Amino acid sequence: MLVAHLLDGDSEHALAEARRLRASGLDGQRLVVEGLEVAMDGMSAKCTTEQFNLLEIMLTGRAAMAVAREVFPEGRVASTRGTVVIATPQGDVHDLGKNITRMVLTSKGFRVIDCGKDCPVTDMVAAAAREHAFAVLASGLISPVVPLVRQLRGLLRERGLTQVAVVAGGAALKQCTAEALNVDYVARDAFDCIHFLEKLSLDRP
Amino acid sequence: MTGLERILATVRFEPTDRVAVIPQIFGHAATIAGVPLVKYLTDAAVLARCQLSALERYRHDAVFALLDVNVETEALGSRLRFPKDGYPSVEKYAIESPSAVAELAVPDPSKAGRMPVLLQAARLLRQELGDRVLVAGCVLGPMTLACQLLGAECALFAAVDEPEAFERLLDFAVDVAVRFGHAQLEAGAHLCVVFDPSASPAVVPPALFREMLAPRLRRLFQALKGPRGPVTWLHIAGPVEPILPLYPDCGVDIANIDYCVDLGRARAAVPRLCLDGNIRPLAFVDSEPGDITAACRRVLDGAGAGFILSSGCEIPLEARPECVHALVDSVRG
Repeated sequence: MLVAHLLDGDSEHALAEARRLRASGLDGQRLVVEGLEVAMDGMSAKCTTEQFNLLEIMLTGRAAMAVAREVFPEGRVASTRGTVVIATPQGDVHDLGKNITRMVLTSKGFRVIDCGKDCPVTDMVAAAAREHAFAVLASGLISPVVPLVRQLRGLLRERGLTQVAVVAGGAALKQCTAEALNVDYVARDAFDCIHFLEKLSLDRP
Repeated sequence: MTGLERILATVRFEPTDRVAVIPQIFGHAATIAGVPLVKYLTDAAVLARCQLSALERYRHDAVFALLDVNVETEALGSRLRFPKDGYPSVEKYAIESPSAVAELAVPDPSKAGRMPVLLQAARLLRQELGDRVLVAGCVLGPMTLACQLLGAECALFAAVDEPEAFERLLDFAVDVAVRFGHAQLEAGAHLCVVFDPSASPAVVPPALFREMLAPRLRRLFQALKGPRGPVTWLHIAGPVEPILPLYPDCGVDIANIDYCVDLGRARAAVPRLCLDGNIRPLAFVDSEPGDITAACRRVLDGAGAGFILSSGCEIPLEARPECVHALVDSVRG
């Protein structure tokens, strides 16, 4: 039931079900893995290229975040898949796609450091170093961010962070190839990004 | 044929001397003229001069009296931030909940914010060009204006959480568009592009478009269409294929098709609707002119009648001029 309520984007019923499950003794971590993560997988399966819209993902993401806050009221969802840094680079203030990706990643067990919008790429790299991230994600709606995204890998290298992957996404960036952007991967959407990160996460030592 | 005649004939699926071509040149006109974007977006004479200069350079079929997506929301009280080299964005939204729309009044386009700049730009362009090329104005569609008044995240949640209040906001947005659109047509625009990127199926489900947005777009196009504005143009970016079949009933005459949409499938969905598109916008920045020529050839091969060659969305500010030339030259020879 929890998964169904989450997929419906029904925060109220999802919360009630999560409380019932907790009261019956279900461990919080299991609730995340078997509830939130399964719901996000379901949303991922539903979101094919031809059937993908931000609103439905936002509603499921909002419900998932409400459940996560209920289970981990201190604000820390247990991270099982490692840390990533996400931001909308400097010059771009359109952060809806970034926020949705953050919600989905958090629900899937990633620890997400959100550097916000209009963010200097040097701040993204500094956050990756400070937080021991295994990936840096850049979300961009408008084309002026393209040259900034191209700088990310070089800036990471300057700090010795050669193992940190760079992923790009968003309306402008997904028009480019990974080679043109000098990144490891260009994600079509939030779920495509997660699939790439999951593979990467499994391959990490 | 003049550019305007060519476009009007294309909309009617009548023969033309060549394929009409409209690179969507907005702020790029300022870039190639060496003018700061902020001047272009705030000074009608500068905008008109830059558009005319771009027209002389590229020899395409339409100019745009179009500033940015913040004109209406600024006129309604949102506070903008103008970066050094880019389009402005909203720093503080005009309202915090959809029900607060009751406190807003439809702005007077002759006075509010930068609306008079757009009107004056349309006037200057029409005075200079007459009916030689299409002079296009622009209004925001209801979904995008709702997002620009509330913030996108808040607006999208409101569409689900407070549907009645949200629908009142959409109705208000149509009222704003009708008044601003009429003023643009009176000032000299041949048509107003209805720009509604937030109505894209990438953002909202097609069912929401059908239930909430299509009826309002129909009202808007009914109001805009008339002797002063014989043609309507709906500009929604992204994967519009699921909503395209609804366009004719909304009163759309020209439908923008983005690069991610298969043109053949779009044509099959709306056989008698004029389409414009669909060269990848960023290709004008990161590709060679030869790549643009090849892409245009591929598009034109399958396009048939009722087609305007264009970029799938705005030509980026930093586009390479030789790539824009390649687009226009692929139909001008």
